[in-house]
Amino acid sequence: LLVFHWCPGAGQDVGRSCILVSIAGKNVMLDCGMHMGYNDDRRFPDFSYITQNGRLTDFLDCVIISHFHLDHCGALPYFSEMVGYDGPIYMTHPTKAICPILLEDYRKITVDKKGETNFFTSQMIKDCMKKVVAVHLHQTVQVDEELEIKAYYAGHVLGAAMFQIKVGCESVVYTGDYNMTPDRHLGAAWIDKCRPDLLISESTYATTIRDSKRCRERDFLKKVHETVERGGKVLIPVFALGRAQELCILLETFWERMNLKAPIYFSTGLTEKANHYYKLFITWTNQKIRKTFVQRNMFEFKHIKAFDRAFADNPGPMVVFATPGMLHAGQSLQIFRKWAGNEKNMVIMPGYCVQGTVGHKILSGQRKLEMEGRQILEVKMQVEYMSFSAHADAKGIMQLIRQAEPRNVLLVHGEAKKMEFLKQKIEQEFHVSCFMPANGETTTILTNPCIPVDISLGLLKRETAIGPLPDAKKPKLMHGTLLMKDNSFRLVSPEQALKELGLAEHQLRFTCRVHIQDPRKEHETVLRVYNHLKGVLKDYSVQHLPDGSITVESILIQATAHSEDQGTKVLLVSWTYQDEELGSYLTSLLKKGLPQSTP
Amino acid sequence: YRDLHTFELQAPTRLIEWARGNRVCVAGYGQSDGNEILQLIPPPTLLTKEIQGLCPERDFKVECGGFSERPVYSLKYVPDTSLLVTSGPPDSSLQVWQVSAEDSDVIKSVNTIATENGTGQSWAKIATISARAPWVLHGSGLDRVQITEVESRKNVYTAASRGSKELSDLAFLDCNTLLLCCVTGHLCLADIRQPQSLMEAMSVPSVPCSEQWRMGTRHGPQGLEPSFQPVARLSSRGHLTLTDLRKTSEFLALAKARVPSPGSGAEFLCVSWAPALEGYLAISGFDGTVHVFDTQSWDSSGREAEPIFVHKGHAFGGAGGSGDPPLVTVHTWHLQKPRTLLSAASDGSLHVWDWVQPCGKC
Repeated sequence: LLVFHWCPGAGQDVGRSCILVSIAGKNVMLDCGMHMGYNDDRRFPDFSYITQNGRLTDFLDCVIISHFHLDHCGALPYFSEMVGYDGPIYMTHPTKAICPILLEDYRKITVDKKGETNFFTSQMIKDCMKKVVAVHLHQTVQVDEELEIKAYYAGHVLGAAMFQIKVGCESVVYTGDYNMTPDRHLGAAWIDKCRPDLLISESTYATTIRDSKRCRERDFLKKVHETVERGGKVLIPVFALGRAQELCILLETFWERMNLKAPIYFSTGLTEKANHYYKLFITWTNQKIRKTFVQRNMFEFKHIKAFDRAFADNPGPMVVFATPGMLHAGQSLQIFRKWAGNEKNMVIMPGYCVQGTVGHKILSGQRKLEMEGRQILEVKMQVEYMSFSAHADAKGIMQLIRQAEPRNVLLVHGEAKKMEFLKQKIEQEFHVSCFMPANGETTTILTNPCIPVDISLGLLKRETAIGPLPDAKKPKLMHGTLLMKDNSFRLVSPEQALKELGLAEHQLRFTCRVHIQDPRKEHETVLRVYNHLKGVLKDYSVQHLPDGSITVESILIQATAHSEDQGTKVLLVSWTYQDEELGSYLTSLLKKGLPQSTP
Repeated sequence: YRDLHTFELQAPTRLIEWARGNRVCVAGYGQSDGNEILQLIPPPTLLTKEIQGLCPERDFKVECGGFSERPVYSLKYVPDTSLLVTSGPPDSSLQVWQVSAEDSDVIKSVNTIATENGTGQSWAKIATISARAPWVLHGSGLDRVQITEVESRKNVYTAASRGSKELSDLAFLDCNTLLLCCVTGHLCLADIRQPQSLMEAMSVPSVPCSEQWRMGTRHGPQGLEPSFQPVARLSSRGHLTLTDLRKTSEFLALAKARVPSPGSGAEFLCVSWAPALEGYLAISGFDGTVHVFDTQSWDSSGREAEPIFVHKGHAFGGAGGSGDPPLVTVHTWHLQKPRTLLSAASDGSLHVWDWVQPCGKC
């Protein structure tokens, strides 16, 4: 099993996800993310790493996308249309529905507003999505005769999934981003005891002990409430789908409870679409939502209305959710510019902001920003940060490992240097190997493939009958002949094998001569030998036959006088191949000579 | 509250120790092995006095961790070194660890300081100082108090034995003076330059036995002069005594805290002075609360004292329903922020809270 890992992103950067796995001869690409901090070619992974000459379509058996966040799917149209890939791309239904919207959004901002040229077009997004095959949760999908994949619920965002990739009896599970604790609109990730050879898990929050959700929510609501109470406006830049829904439910519940009147707005166009998708994919939300959905649609908000650009100029308090999330362009940036000058207002960044964006700048404390046309914007409004992203922490990672029972674990997205402790923790608790590759590194994991072999009933019966009784606790060694034909392996008795192959059985018989000093007559020597052997080999059947020979089990011993020396007797010890061990033993025993005092 | 943050540790801790660089250390005390020692970086909101610029994180980060085979009941950093010492049942030996946060994030076990075991005594209480050399003062009973040099593991001092009372606390008052507190409440002073003398100081107000006592000493501003701060003692029934070590024949103050009875035992009793607020102390270990008192209004009457503030978060935080209500296992004050405390409970919760001074007081 080979895993080639590209997740460049220095330090805390969210970076981009793109992992190549080679399993039993199949090559699968996991996620195809874009790095949002760069404005040049560095934002896309360098696909020439994969194959220098060949076509990607020939090399890769499939591509799997875990969820719609741009750091996991942002480079997909570039990859499939500009670099060139025509094979299947797998993702869940919600991801398939939502991906193109986010991609188009981002394309519009990058190309139309920023005027970039080396970027994918709208048509490319459409063409790319035509190659997508949507999958359901827990549905086994045969990519080809040998490769199959299965999606599991991952929480995190709508439609996020963990994927199991299986070839024969080797398998890998890739988690993408996941969350082990349910939140207001999504459930927790879950996987069965599938025992993969390798579990690839994200570890963004592995070394973090998170502040309780209740505290964060309480602080968020406190800030919003205080601002609105003093007549200020609150801007919350969000990506259309994801944490926005969570915050909407939170505010709606709070507004209802506190009977607040200030309006809450959500970006035009995306409200309907978001609600539409959540309704469509209601089975992807958590238990509570599904249960209450019948009584009232959680996503039809009483207090949250669609936003119109003109509202930004309305006097009085209000709360606005606007896209995009890092204030890098579009509507949220426009609103920000209008409201930044008033210290009564507040902007709450609900997630990490990539370097270079206005969001990142104001969070770093910058209060004078240079806008287009060299205009300086003075930021007097309050700037707050409140992270609501849903990722698994160390406890969650341990839980997932406990659920899946992998043989090896590989952690991505973390800060490799400082993860030795977690690595030891995992290795000690689960007795598995834990890998933490650096970006661009290849990890090789040795697997022990199981080769199933059918054993014939006759052989089984025969082998269990010989020797000591079978003990359920001890392994029993059996002998047979392995027949390999086509793709099947069978263990049969040698006789049956010979029969099937049309071969005649050959018997191998060994004969050994042992010289014994004994001047007496042959039959006396035989008697001495017989008594000696009978005394020593108490567990074996030693017999003195009327024709003067001795048998020990099926081994034959005959005595003759030496042709030249009457004082020496020659013992002929003869045995078949099956009795090799006993035969050799007997021979060496006899070579030691007979005891002096013979009865 | 001015502020309250709640966190959940994977395993409950009964110690919270401050380390260089404002780090905080916690450790597990479960019976089975696999207890973790975690050195945490608190969220930026706690590191500085004022919030400066960006405050993106509200979370603790695990800076480094180690694995202990035995439950960790006590942990002390050895000042001016990268070592720390732990102790815990089943015996009174100490474990020495190395923290090298720059190279790797694993706290490695480097040594053990073995001790002879007294009869019936379990684990050693410890205190550290690095005056003449890195030393650890340790012992589980009055008859087994010694100072060992941490790196060489050589014994540098053994206290004269005065009976085998079990110790509940010990401390360095300065580089030559030790203060020992027994479970019965008796305090003993010792000067390490005179190994044979062990001065028995103040005993406790005469109340029926079966009470157990803990002490809290206050460290004044940096410096190694003897700090003539009063010593506080807390009993499992809520009695509090303040003693000035220069005048041990009388109590400075006596008070009683309102605590539930029957008590939950003395396992997690904890009393501590505020480092940045004169005369304030906090107690915990009776239930899921932490009480903060202003002792300046106390006298020697021993009557019930009103707490200035009660932190109830742990009692409400729990999963609710099943199991016993959480018990606060330990609390500690922030070294610079005057009204900030950290407290941990038996359900694994870790709270950081900042209380507001009630009106009327400056």
